[in-house]
Amino acid sequence: MIAHVAAVGEQRGRVVLHLGSGYPNQIALAAAIRVAKAFESEVESLFIEDQNLYACADYPFAVEISLCGRTRRALSVAHIEREFRHAASAIGRQLDHLARIAEVPLRRTVVRDDPFTALARACAERGPWNMIALGDTVGNSASDDIRRLFDTVLDTTGVILTGPRAQRNSGPLVVVLEDIAHLEPMLRTAERLAPEGGDTPIILLLVADSDDKLAWMDGQVRLVLGANQTPQLARAVVESGGEAVLAEVIRRLQGGLVIAEFGGVLVPASGDMRYLTSSLECPLLLMR
Amino acid sequence: MFFTKRPPPDAKETVIAVVGASRAPEPLPVGELRHTVDPATLGFTSTAELEPISGLIGQDRALKAIQFGATIKSHDFNIFVQGPAASGKSTAVKQYLEKKAKDAPTPVDWVYVNNFETANRPIALKLPPGRGRPLARAMVAAIDELRNTLPAVFEGEDYQARRRSIDEEFRSGQEDALAGFNKRAQDQNIAVLRTPTGFAMAPTHEGKIVKPEVFNTLPEAMRTDVEKRIEILQKELEQILERLPKSDKQRRAKLSDLNAEVASIAVREALDDVAAAFADEPGVLAFLTVAGSDLVRNVGLFLAPTGDESEIVKQPADTARDPRFRRYMVNVMVSNGEPAPAGAPIVEELNPTFGNLIGRVEHLANMGALVTDFLLIKSGALHRANGGYLLIDARKVLLSPFAWEALKRTIKGREIRMEQPSEMAGMMSTQTLDPEPIPLDVKVILFGDRELYYMLASADPDFSRLFKVQADFDDSIARSAENDIAFSRLVASIVTQHHLRPVDAGGVARLIDEAARLADDREKLSIEIGRIADIVREADYWAGAARHDHVTRDDVAQAIAENIQRSDRMRDRAQEMIQREIMLIDTAGVKVGQINGLSVLQLGAFAFGRPTRITARVRMGAGRVTDIEREVNLGGPLHSKGVMILWGYLAGLFAQDVPLAMAATLVVEQSYGGVDGDSASSTELYALLSALAEVPIRQSIAVTGSVNQWGEVQAIGGANEKIEGFFDVCRVRGLDGRQGVMIPKANVQHLMLREDVVDAVKQGKFAIWPVGHIDEGIELLTGVEAGVRGADGKFPAGTINGLVEEKLRAFAESVRAFGAKAVGAVPNGRDLT
Repeated sequence: MIAHVAAVGEQRGRVVLHLGSGYPNQIALAAAIRVAKAFESEVESLFIEDQNLYACADYPFAVEISLCGRTRRALSVAHIEREFRHAASAIGRQLDHLARIAEVPLRRTVVRDDPFTALARACAERGPWNMIALGDTVGNSASDDIRRLFDTVLDTTGVILTGPRAQRNSGPLVVVLEDIAHLEPMLRTAERLAPEGGDTPIILLLVADSDDKLAWMDGQVRLVLGANQTPQLARAVVESGGEAVLAEVIRRLQGGLVIAEFGGVLVPASGDMRYLTSSLECPLLLMR
Repeated sequence: MFFTKRPPPDAKETVIAVVGASRAPEPLPVGELRHTVDPATLGFTSTAELEPISGLIGQDRALKAIQFGATIKSHDFNIFVQGPAASGKSTAVKQYLEKKAKDAPTPVDWVYVNNFETANRPIALKLPPGRGRPLARAMVAAIDELRNTLPAVFEGEDYQARRRSIDEEFRSGQEDALAGFNKRAQDQNIAVLRTPTGFAMAPTHEGKIVKPEVFNTLPEAMRTDVEKRIEILQKELEQILERLPKSDKQRRAKLSDLNAEVASIAVREALDDVAAAFADEPGVLAFLTVAGSDLVRNVGLFLAPTGDESEIVKQPADTARDPRFRRYMVNVMVSNGEPAPAGAPIVEELNPTFGNLIGRVEHLANMGALVTDFLLIKSGALHRANGGYLLIDARKVLLSPFAWEALKRTIKGREIRMEQPSEMAGMMSTQTLDPEPIPLDVKVILFGDRELYYMLASADPDFSRLFKVQADFDDSIARSAENDIAFSRLVASIVTQHHLRPVDAGGVARLIDEAARLADDREKLSIEIGRIADIVREADYWAGAARHDHVTRDDVAQAIAENIQRSDRMRDRAQEMIQREIMLIDTAGVKVGQINGLSVLQLGAFAFGRPTRITARVRMGAGRVTDIEREVNLGGPLHSKGVMILWGYLAGLFAQDVPLAMAATLVVEQSYGGVDGDSASSTELYALLSALAEVPIRQSIAVTGSVNQWGEVQAIGGANEKIEGFFDVCRVRGLDGRQGVMIPKANVQHLMLREDVVDAVKQGKFAIWPVGHIDEGIELLTGVEAGVRGADGKFPAGTINGLVEEKLRAFAESVRAFGAKAVGAVPNGRDLT
């Protein structure tokens, strides 16, 4: 498990920003730019026009129901193309602005494909050190999609996702450590994202299902860290089914970015994510 | 054609012994010329020994009126204090009221608070004395507290958790509904796809969209079935999506309830202290209830950022000035009890404009528009004087636009209703307020002179109805030993008030003399306190210059002299013109039909006398007298009246059995301004008699006095100045013992002549003759007996009256000889017979 993004000069990866709808989460866009800047990488915004929609438009009975549910109109290829073009253009302008301020290289791509396939192809082009940032807000049932993403897109080291309550990008960098084996790479990622001398503290949240295990983890962490006192330590005992508690602990730490592993207590490989999405107030970097 | 000037019968003046029973008056003895006070009789050596007097002396009538007016409980028994300027009436009234107000109950406080229902109609709250400002401070403190507690409460975990719960309930409900729908669609092999602006559906097979060309190959029944299922799902989706705004509305309602619940706890706690402190004030409690509800409704005001967070230095905002919280502040209009009850207020409004009296609603410029609120209501003098007394200068309030009408309306209505002048005038105005009127209980005391009082009483019907008490201040008091002492104490109070040197007895005596002179009556003392105080202060200056410990008689005399010298440039100029014979005045010799009259010129506070030549010419005519002053519109009505009266005297005395077949012209020579007053009527009569009798008049005598139709000489004003004016002319030319002034007998009591005049009389160089009747005066002026009509109905021959009668008969005969045709009648002349 290595969370890494290739630097610009490496020509081996970048932050791939997945965009699919016309309403991206602004915190998610900013998070993508932030990660790219930290890794001195570039951002490739990948606006994917879902090809299934075009297939759908060929049906004579296909209609589009508006977001408010009050209007219905016939679906046509021309209509979908126009809407996608407008959406991509509007988001592109926003990204240009953000990238220019952050001085991050930006490449904009629009493809018509199946989303997972398109992401896999984009990452494979410059694998393996890609980081996928999801531009749209994730919902309670995002676990399956994330799992599928990790399964489908092999050339990615992590996924940045943003929940519906996201409201900030600044604040401590919270590393959720559930497996001591992941300490070093997660910490390295965190240090890369919170450069030394900066004003972003790193909080290492040790998560275990018992006090004993937590104490053991604490000791191990201290052995690894040695004299390095940079991260602050926080602890949480989370018994089985305690993801709600963990989500609340993370919320109270008021982080600006949370780094966690996929498939643990916080983000299970499958199932409901409602506790996390209802508490997460900043982007989450999920490491494979 | 040449005229030859007829020489007077005797160009050289000679004192002619009057033949027969002389009625010529005797000169006044020196003692009658000036009433001076002997310092030894005052009974003190300096004012340091005297207790300063408080209030006025000799104004019992006015003081009683003030006591009555100030005590009677009725809104229309207001007081008009009338009297001369600088008479101390204002000070006296204030001194009286201060004593009375001290023991009176302290009136209530009035504040304006916001009307949360109708913002342009602020609510007036009545509070016990001294509680207005504490309420204002308490509200500021409460809002201050809320500024700290409300953000903390709303950032607190409890609130945030509850809010998240509501949000999550809504969001999850929304998501669950869509997830459930997706699941149901999936189960029917229908995919729900997201477009940039909505949703679309398509059939699937093994999780993948069926391509249309494949779909078209399916049996029609199957295709129809898919289409129906999609149609049903589309309707279901529409229903789900339509429900979202409703559930969002419910979410907002729940959040609003939560906000209200959380805020109301903090608001209640903050306002509880205020409510406890004012638990006995129902008005305040009602205000707090409404304000509390408004605070809960507008809790967002306390959570909004106040400014740029990046400011390096942040000053705590002043709650009282923060525009967000103005509506919760209290505008204290009147505060009476702080720090301690002080009785009824006495307010003197020196600039009684409309706004200063009634109060005003000010405006602030905001984005080019004028805006206002209840905090911009400014109190007026009526607010501050409510429950007490309001002192105003009547002339000033009358001269101030809208102020008089507003004052009357307020007194009459017994409430202070703020209506801006522009509204009253029907002019357009920006948005303004209509504050709730404040009940009024005030005693208004106007100050003015008598003319103003009578003018108002006759011209304004409201005035008499609203100012039923007149306090008439006299400008002088009777001369007595008791009043001399009272006056001395008044001087002592002036000394104390202005921190001056004590005035010794001689100085006080001289001041009393001057007060009598100012009163123009030696039997009176002027109580023009302002003028007396000026003299005392100037005398103190001269005492300081002379390094005197006390103000002495000489210092007072110098102060008076210096004051006159600063003002008498015009008098010197008049004297100079006489000495240079630019203005012709004879002070020696005799002349027919020519006499020295006396006039007074008032220039500001300084008055001086000046001799004026009056001449009369007679001729045969139709019984008309021409007052040249009147003909050229230089004569005032009183002067004309005097001329008509003297003509009545002549007609009554000489035209009983013969027509007054004469024409006469009378003129005040070298008079280029207006002439008024009847004080020259006797003088003009003497000139006329001299002209008719052709008997010359002594030019060494100047004459003043009015005359009635019976020939009685009546009192005039300014006797002292007139005598001194002629004396000054004579003194420069040289006093020869024959010069003097003839005055009405009635004016003797007014004499307070200058000391140099008195000295000249004492030395026999000048004389003052009191005259009671024209006959007495003409005898003194001509040295010829006036003459009394004998049993035969005729005046004795050779007497003035005999000569006049003879002349008039001659005129009548001549007229008859000319066929009773008037000769030389003056156009526009007036027949007075």
